[in-house]
Amino acid sequence: MIKLEVLTKYYKKHARGILDVSLEIKKGEIFGFIGPNGAGKSTTVRTLLNLIFPTSGTATVDGLDVVADTIAIRKMVGYIPSEVNFYDDMYVKDFIRYSCSFHGEIDQPFMDTLVEKLELDLSRKIEDLSFGNKKKVAIVAALVTHPKILILDEPTSGLDPLMQSIFFQFLEAEKKNGTTIFFSSHNLSEVQRICDRVGIIKEGRLIKVETVEDIMKTRAKTVRLKTEDEIKPTDDMINFEKVNGYISFVYTAETKKLIQLLSTVNVIDVTITEPALEEIFMHYYEREDQS
Amino acid sequence: MKKLITTEFKRNLRSLILWTSIVAGMAALMLMLYPAFKDAFSQLEELLSIYPEEFLEAFGMGEGGLDMSDFYGWFGVEGYLFVNLIGGSYAAILGGSILSKEEDDKTIEFLLSKPISRDRILFGKAIVVALNLLLLNTLVGIVLLIAFTIYGDLIVPVWLLFSYAPFILQMIFASLSFLISVFITKSRKVLSIALGIVIGMYVIDLISKLTEEFEYLKYITPYEYINAVSIVNDQMIKPLYLLISVLIIGVSFTSAWFFYRKKDITA
Repeated sequence: MIKLEVLTKYYKKHARGILDVSLEIKKGEIFGFIGPNGAGKSTTVRTLLNLIFPTSGTATVDGLDVVADTIAIRKMVGYIPSEVNFYDDMYVKDFIRYSCSFHGEIDQPFMDTLVEKLELDLSRKIEDLSFGNKKKVAIVAALVTHPKILILDEPTSGLDPLMQSIFFQFLEAEKKNGTTIFFSSHNLSEVQRICDRVGIIKEGRLIKVETVEDIMKTRAKTVRLKTEDEIKPTDDMINFEKVNGYISFVYTAETKKLIQLLSTVNVIDVTITEPALEEIFMHYYEREDQS
Repeated sequence: MKKLITTEFKRNLRSLILWTSIVAGMAALMLMLYPAFKDAFSQLEELLSIYPEEFLEAFGMGEGGLDMSDFYGWFGVEGYLFVNLIGGSYAAILGGSILSKEEDDKTIEFLLSKPISRDRILFGKAIVVALNLLLLNTLVGIVLLIAFTIYGDLIVPVWLLFSYAPFILQMIFASLSFLISVFITKSRKVLSIALGIVIGMYVIDLISKLTEEFEYLKYITPYEYINAVSIVNDQMIKPLYLLISVLIIGVSFTSAWFFYRKKDITA
């Protein structure tokens, strides 16, 4: 559904954009696109919407070229920007109507559901809304047209956990209807929660694409232990920390080796758990740095 | 695009009303002062005769210029300038902000995520600029129509020219600032440059009239194109000036379109 082929974007002013990004997202898939701020997530999103032009390479959405067929693409796309900037002097109601006017008919019952569930006040002016409420306006405006593709750039920032959860329910419902979702985020737990596959971008390069399942299956383990003996950090340990008498690290080598290591020290207390996606993510980052 | 135009028009309506009131109000004020000054003109003429010819010419009162004791002459010297300076400033602000405001406020990201082409966005906004300026001049034209009918004999071509010649000048300023705003997206910067052009061109107009040495400068200042002297005395805008005006407006808008359609929106 979305296909990037050696897509590169250089900026004149800022050095980094994205470099040789190749990626294919299937129809009906929720694809998480993760990386820290400045890694190239927004650059990729902006290229898909043709806000910016690729320096080289191509990107297609449903077989349509992002530059040549941008209007046809935008017809089927719902977009939630990371920073919501709408016309401050407009009322929420008028803004959503204006937004929908580009797509055609409004699905009024669905709109009412969205507004009710997200607890959005239509009678207020955009300028009087908090960041979170502006985000809700963006969510309603993006979802109400039943787009075939949703492009979300850090969509949950500003939303409280309850609203995030309601938002995810809507996303899952859309996914069931066959909507493809491009979910850019730096929050790994939300990506882990909702996405099918994850692409990790760092300094403009896509360094890893894996299913969330596979990423979680990595042999890395989070170890938290208390001991009076000294443990020296090795190459197999990342995020090595000593807090409140506990040593914690992510162990990336074989579990057998870990057990051998633990048998050499006097362990008072230990927990070994599956690492959170954040920790795996750091693991990829560090490995990239070493190579 | 219809929705874009109506939305854009609504968003700019308040400032249109404000500026139209100022321009029409200034014109009306100057016209109302006419009866009070009328009788003093014979003395004024004497007083003016001490001034150098170039000076009088700069304000359209030189030889072959305007007769201040005539109603149209009075308006051409006293009211028309205000209409052009204030109306020109509005045009520059409107033309310079209508596009750059979207980038400065970052709302362009919303607009360009919608299925509307950049061509249409640009075209729609240019239409709103032209429409607003037409409305402004029409309202000023109504004020002039009332005044000209009350105080003197209505000469229709002169009235029409006084009402709509400023539209040409305003469109020149609006299209130039529109073009500038494609490259400079900080609204405040665009507006200082745009207003600088409005004032700067007026200064150039004065210089071209005050000195023979720099007379050729008259070809680059829009104030000369729609000079009150030709409106009152010849009842026309010189075809050469009209041609230059249309060219400037056309080239500015076309260049704005040309550069905007390939521009990276990084705001």
